[in-house]
Amino acid sequence: MSDLNKLNLQQALDGLKNKKFSSRELVSDCLTQIKKNAATLNTFVTVCEESALKEADSADLSLPLGGIPIAVKDNFLTKGIRTTASAKVLDNYIAQYESTFTKRLKENGAIIIGKTNMDAWAHGSSTETSDYGSTKNPWNTDHLPGGSSGGSAAAVAADECIAAVGSETAGSIRQPASWCGVVGFKPTYGRCSRYGTVAMKSSTDSPGPLTKTVDDAAFILSLVSGHDLHDATSIDEPPWKIPEKLTTLNGLKLGIPLSYFPPETQPEVKESVLAAIESYKKMGAEIIELPDMMDPKYSIAVYTILQRSEVSSNLNRFDGIRFGNDRSFFAQEAKRRIMLGTYSLSSGYYDAYYTKAQKVRTLICQDFDHQFQKVDAIISPVSPVTALKIGATEGQAMFGEIQDMLLEPSSISGLAGISIPCGFDKIGLPIGLNIVCPQKREDLVYQLAKIFEENTDYHTKRPKL
Amino acid sequence: MSTIITDDQFQHIAKLSRLEIKPEEIFIKDQLAQAATYVDVLKELNTDTIEPTFQVNHKNTVLREDVIEPSLSQKDALSQAKKTSNGYFVTSVTIKK
Repeated sequence: MSDLNKLNLQQALDGLKNKKFSSRELVSDCLTQIKKNAATLNTFVTVCEESALKEADSADLSLPLGGIPIAVKDNFLTKGIRTTASAKVLDNYIAQYESTFTKRLKENGAIIIGKTNMDAWAHGSSTETSDYGSTKNPWNTDHLPGGSSGGSAAAVAADECIAAVGSETAGSIRQPASWCGVVGFKPTYGRCSRYGTVAMKSSTDSPGPLTKTVDDAAFILSLVSGHDLHDATSIDEPPWKIPEKLTTLNGLKLGIPLSYFPPETQPEVKESVLAAIESYKKMGAEIIELPDMMDPKYSIAVYTILQRSEVSSNLNRFDGIRFGNDRSFFAQEAKRRIMLGTYSLSSGYYDAYYTKAQKVRTLICQDFDHQFQKVDAIISPVSPVTALKIGATEGQAMFGEIQDMLLEPSSISGLAGISIPCGFDKIGLPIGLNIVCPQKREDLVYQLAKIFEENTDYHTKRPKL
Repeated sequence: MSTIITDDQFQHIAKLSRLEIKPEEIFIKDQLAQAATYVDVLKELNTDTIEPTFQVNHKNTVLREDVIEPSLSQKDALSQAKKTSNGYFVTSVTIKK
């Protein structure tokens, strides 16, 4: 068999189990694809060719992810493997311990095929702020893949791996998944441990999977979620279980927030999302407009203040003494964020900025509570636009914040959500559908995503490379 | 109203942040002011009676028994440092005699 890299997770597991091919063949096909695209897509910071092939040869195929090559965003600490968070400050850093998320992947038999490119420190929504150069969108290399998990999203779209993992702070799983036409599952805050990830905005950082299908994402989530003593904010519950899929949506109410279709929404994005809503209606769901949903502009401001503040604290530890290079290695984006955070936390400004933002965060959480009394889930575009062109972030101090305006409210509130493919624009760039449910309602996120996927074929399309 | 950040304030923030700003990066000052102006939108909302949300999954302080668990060895902990001496990290001088 050839082109094994094109398989999704369930197909690859099935093939390995039935001895149609070996893990080495599967890993080799992914490595071949990575090498073929390396110069054009720049999806990986580090490729683990030697260790991946070695692990493939001794893979335990009886494990749930036995022998499966998975791409890991470079902000997960992977013991013995270079971990940079795409930042030159950590250029030569070899992780001394394993993140809980990747530890669980490995315990379930997964093979780390490489560490994917991202916005440096996860600061951005483009991968253009990576100190190792931007990743390119596999659908059109003149365009950005989104970010910050842009390398992981592009690696999945380009079939350079069977599945990938990323992390979302305010859109960093869902937005690149949308721009690259793959599935990005953002779990409830605390569902997956943050232990051993390079901390960005600790109060919203949420690791999660990026995959070729909804089932693949759910399967990974079911294996890596669950309480972790090493993360004090981890939800004290056993691993999440995949629920039964639905055959009808009778009795379910889906909310459409009118403020999530701002004037800058690209017409094709609006058309595709409205078509998706129409198909949910045909499946039996009641569609309810939410005219009073809080304007996302407030979330942009809240996120900007809180993200900068937490960043200024989290990045304070990088001093080049115990690991990594010194602070002169920080690039402009990180400097800008650290400084704004320092400003908003400094004496005389703390209440006006930081406390004010935390209070408005309460209003945003209350707004969701209010809306979820009327509906079971909220449906919207992931991004108002499809993938922007390379260079779009230049001179834009708040590029990410504005791109992620439709995702920030749910991230700030710690909700569960997903981006699934729901169409293409007129030049063939993918469009994503955002499904948001209350905290700990990944079951409904999964069911709504799954039933849509079963009735469409957008997820089967792949870019021509 | 737009927020103004003075040169002195900018240098002070850089110092607090322990960052050196190169002459060609001075434009960051205007970008900080722009961002600070943008977030002024929050003033539109009355939050006088609202409590702040620092943490969204409402967990209380998490404690565990005070028992020794496996942790990084000294060798591993020091493995990534540029300068070590007799099992210690070497830092620059912070207190002069």
